[in-house]
Amino acid sequence: MAVVGARRPSPYGEAVAERLAADLAAAGVVIVSGLALGIDAAAHRGALEAGGCTVAVLGTGVDVVYPAANAELAARILAGGGALVSQFPDGTQPRRQHFPMRNWTLAQLSDAVVVVEAAEGSGALITAEAALQQAKEVLAVPGSVFSPLSVGCHQLLRDGAGLAQNARDVLAALGRPLEVLDDPLRPPPRLGPAPPARDGLLAHLTDTLPLSAADLARRLGLPFAEVLGRLTGLELEGAVRQHGAGFVRLTGRRRRE
Amino acid sequence: MLAAVDSCLLRGLEGRRVEVQVDVSPGQVGFHVVGLAQTSVKEARERVRAAIRNSGHTFPLRRLTVNLAPAELRKEGSGLDLPIAVAICLAESGAAAPPGSAFLGELALDGAVRHVDGVLVAARWLRAQGCRSLFVPAADAAEAALVPGFEVYACPSLAAVMQHLLGGESIDAQLPAALQAPPEPPEADDLAEVHGQEAARRALELAAAGGHHLLFSGPPGAGKTMLARCLPGILPPLSLEEAIEVAQVRSLLGDLPGSGPLDWVRPFRSPHHGISQAGLIGGGSGLARPGEISRAHLGVLFLDELAEFDAATLQAVRQPIEGGRVTITRSGGSVSYPARFQLVAATNPCPCGWAGDRQRACRCTPGAADAYQRALSGPLLDRIDLRVGVSRPPLEALASEPRGEASAAVRERVVAARAAQNRRQGCLNSLLKPARLREHAALEPAARRALERWAAERGLTARGFHRAWRVARTAADLEGAPAILERHVLEALGYRLAEAVAA
Repeated sequence: MAVVGARRPSPYGEAVAERLAADLAAAGVVIVSGLALGIDAAAHRGALEAGGCTVAVLGTGVDVVYPAANAELAARILAGGGALVSQFPDGTQPRRQHFPMRNWTLAQLSDAVVVVEAAEGSGALITAEAALQQAKEVLAVPGSVFSPLSVGCHQLLRDGAGLAQNARDVLAALGRPLEVLDDPLRPPPRLGPAPPARDGLLAHLTDTLPLSAADLARRLGLPFAEVLGRLTGLELEGAVRQHGAGFVRLTGRRRRE
Repeated sequence: MLAAVDSCLLRGLEGRRVEVQVDVSPGQVGFHVVGLAQTSVKEARERVRAAIRNSGHTFPLRRLTVNLAPAELRKEGSGLDLPIAVAICLAESGAAAPPGSAFLGELALDGAVRHVDGVLVAARWLRAQGCRSLFVPAADAAEAALVPGFEVYACPSLAAVMQHLLGGESIDAQLPAALQAPPEPPEADDLAEVHGQEAARRALELAAAGGHHLLFSGPPGAGKTMLARCLPGILPPLSLEEAIEVAQVRSLLGDLPGSGPLDWVRPFRSPHHGISQAGLIGGGSGLARPGEISRAHLGVLFLDELAEFDAATLQAVRQPIEGGRVTITRSGGSVSYPARFQLVAATNPCPCGWAGDRQRACRCTPGAADAYQRALSGPLLDRIDLRVGVSRPPLEALASEPRGEASAAVRERVVAARAAQNRRQGCLNSLLKPARLREHAALEPAARRALERWAAERGLTARGFHRAWRVARTAADLEGAPAILERHVLEALGYRLAEAVAA
């Protein structure tokens, strides 16, 4: 199953990709993606977190990791029993024209393609197009109607792509509906015991919509300096992280990283 | 017949005494100026000759030699016109200049005394040299009168000066200027006008209290310029000595208003990003003139669109930031100007400017945004303790929110925090080097743990570590806390925007 999407996703997209990949991997599905930044990396990460197997299809030679920021992730993919795959000879550097070819291969290696967040004209849409030409199933995750990152996915849905709200939807499309364990709307049970009591600010954050320290301070009527300090404290504990100008809560899975 | 008159030339904020000697003796009629006079001084001959004639004095039709001593010093500018003319008239009449007097001014052909630059600097230097009275152009008398213990004569014309010296109608000495700071600093941009922007406000307060340099990063229209303009208003008002230091630089550039030469508001300079290195740090041919960083001395230098500045130009600012002075060498010699300013820089987060904005999507590729941030990095950014993201306030906030705290209230806290720092360590927190940080900025155990854990887990560099430490010290000072608590460290770590940029 391929999980692909934007290189600069929203926290929502990243959370969906990670969770979807983890749930699918836990159900025994091999997650295929492109080792790009953003959704691709989140999908690989989710699969690895669930102890699953994941395959990265590269647009460079297998000995060239691009982007370099994902070198560690590539190593973890190999360590987790996955594979780095490329159609290009060793030492091939990244080139613009290679990536659409890679996308075709990626679709070829998958039974179906799930698109999580794609702006108009995004590479993920090329992968979806390739999958359609190869008569593979294409699914898309809906997003916010305000976000430009949802445009591509919503277009796919309008054109007849399957609706992917959770792993259950995806597995149904693969014809394996019974293996689903988790409903992403509920915290997955394997997260272990609840974390110890933390700063009450945590209750005001979500894991998808970033909230800035200033907004939070205004909402709670607290001094900005105090709120910023407490949020940084939470970040130090690994309970929240910064995304752009705001903070989001980390899901249990990422916290274990 | 012989006469001598004292004057001075300026080299930066220093002076050099020049003695104008005149000898009138029999021989072939002529007017010679010797003593390494450059073109502008050579031209004085024509002005002096006409001015003396048009003031009702006779110009000697004999051999006239003017010597500008010391002869090895290159002389430039029009300020020697008046002393030369006075010396000639004195030689003719056989009188002597009053002891301890000095003259400075340019002459018009009709004998009027015209403005020259740098009178305040010259007056201060001459006073320190033991000079007792100074004859300056009427337009510049208010400047010279800022220097206490000194008789200042405002000279409207050569005729009036000569009458005064030869025992006719005398010029009244200028009264010393009132050197009281106004009770209320005049209106600057006020923080009360800023809606929302809690992060930036707090950063401004910390920057003002600790003297930290500050970087704002945010999309167009977020109000970065407005925020920067608020900084002078929350800094303590200038002391008398500081106000004079500021006025000296302006005086050199001929930039002081004659009416009220002392300005108690801290300077705010915002040069355009197209500025040359000479314009920013000072330069020019001969002797260098002060640049923007010296005009911002004791005030705020605002560099908007930091990424658009020429990299070499920004590099040149580094040394003055460290030392508070800039020394520039040109063909005419080396001069040194004060440049102790507080830097506020502003930048877009990425080339298109919209990264991280609530409403608009950024159109930059991840690579382009990274490259933009990297271009910003480097030694200058290393000197900036505080980096804060500024976002556009939501429109409803503009309409509904109560107005923010006024600058005057913030200034009170800033003044108290600065006083505490000066008592403890004799300087502002931003100037604390690592060794002195350990001495003066003790960390509570929990605070130290938080800082060290962050450094270990996030890969903080040594510079980043000390930056956060200094800011935490300032946060504690604003609260009046003697030791740095965990919450101060955590807040300081919270302002780490673009940590990757130049960590």
